Amino acid sequence: MNNWKLKEIIVMSVLAVVFGIVYLAFLPVGKLLVSLLGPIGYDFIFGIWFIVSIIAAYIIRKPGAAFLSETIAATVEMLLGNAMGPIIIITGMIQGLGAEAAFAATRYKRYSLWVLMLAGIGAAIFSFVWGYFRSGFTALSTPYIVSMLVIRMISGAIIAGLIGKTISDSLAKTGVLSSFALGKQIRKERSVS
Amino acid sequence: MRSFLNQLNPSLKAITVVLLVCLLTFVFDPFTPLIYCMFTVMVTIICGKVAWKWYTLYFSVIFLLSFGMLWTTIAFADQPTNPGVTMHILFWDLPKEDVTVAAALTLRMLAFASLSFMFIFTTNMVDFILSVMQQFKLPPKLAYGVLAGYRFLPLIKEELIQIRSAHRIRGIHRANGIKGSIQQYKRFAIPLLAGAIRKAERTAIAMESKGFNGDRDRTFYRQFTLKWKDWGFLGMMLIVFLITVLFSMKLGYFSWYKGQF
Repeated sequence: MNNWKLKEIIVMSVLAVVFGIVYLAFLPVGKLLVSLLGPIGYDFIFGIWFIVSIIAAYIIRKPGAAFLSETIAATVEMLLGNAMGPIIIITGMIQGLGAEAAFAATRYKRYSLWVLMLAGIGAAIFSFVWGYFRSGFTALSTPYIVSMLVIRMISGAIIAGLIGKTISDSLAKTGVLSSFALGKQIRKERSVS
Repeated sequence: MRSFLNQLNPSLKAITVVLLVCLLTFVFDPFTPLIYCMFTVMVTIICGKVAWKWYTLYFSVIFLLSFGMLWTTIAFADQPTNPGVTMHILFWDLPKEDVTVAAALTLRMLAFASLSFMFIFTTNMVDFILSVMQQFKLPPKLAYGVLAGYRFLPLIKEELIQIRSAHRIRGIHRANGIKGSIQQYKRFAIPLLAGAIRKAERTAIAMESKGFNGDRDRTFYRQFTLKWKDWGFLGMMLIVFLITVLFSMKLGYFSWYKGQF
């Protein structure tokens, strides 16, 4: 925690708070999809629930950003009244670890679109394993479970990876990130070209 | 006056809830979670001071959702091992195994919800984070950072209203169509996030200029401790869980989660 600036911690928390609200707001959407399509409904939009770890890691670029931001977002979601209660913090930690794993694999050096999408897929896989043991997917048939996993991975790559990058890049364009890793990188690229 | 549940140490209360949720995960029959859910609601009613209107509302929402879950689990169930054994419900003949599994999952969800509502409705969230910092060594830098971020919650709402008014003044109206609404999201999201990040930076500077350095060696104005009654609560919840399990074993309902994969 010592190599983090206070500024970075607060920005990460604020992102987590904002996306904690977004997470909570998308729960009814997921529930609606579930009631229309069955348990697989969640997986189409599951990437939403990984997005903050990708955004925070992409902006701050420090070990732990993906994990911590997702954990805080889950905590905020609990504080605002998610029915799952404190257990959702553990869910958040696991999803965050999944994304963190992808960044750790590149030794926190590369933040290209592919790495971000991979982080989304990592979060999808981790969260699926956790959900498999917790939510009783076991009662479902095997092909159905496999298609759930595949859809969740795609959703993680596209919603969390691609949209997460788009949001962060648009934020960087406004100039508010000039003292963060992403803003610095963009400035460097501009001065070169 | 603060009631028993509201006075408990927030972080140990959270651990109690998480522990019990984990234990309940291993139970795979409808009876045990039902009894335990009723017990938890009773504890909340007797020992807690909660906003009853919201408590009832939250519970009714969960109740409706659990019905949805009940039928989807039956509808999308795996092929039962004994398809011959059926159960007659209203107009349908359903495999008994599927119904039992679905009921177990649904009641388990209700039991989880009752436990987490017991926590949410009796805990002040600032106290929770302060207590995690004091009892479980969360770095102060992170704890106060999170608290600052949490404080932004009402500010973000305010800012959203401002952005909306600003859009209206400039003659931007509600979008129609999917493409339009995506653009509208972007029009709201980016200024909102940019404003929040600016505010966060200012907050960090303010905290540091007042001498906050995130040192672990610091004093606290509001102190949280672990007392015997916190451990007693944990013990009581565990013992009642054990009794519930034994009781349902005696009645022959109980079944472990033994690889129903």
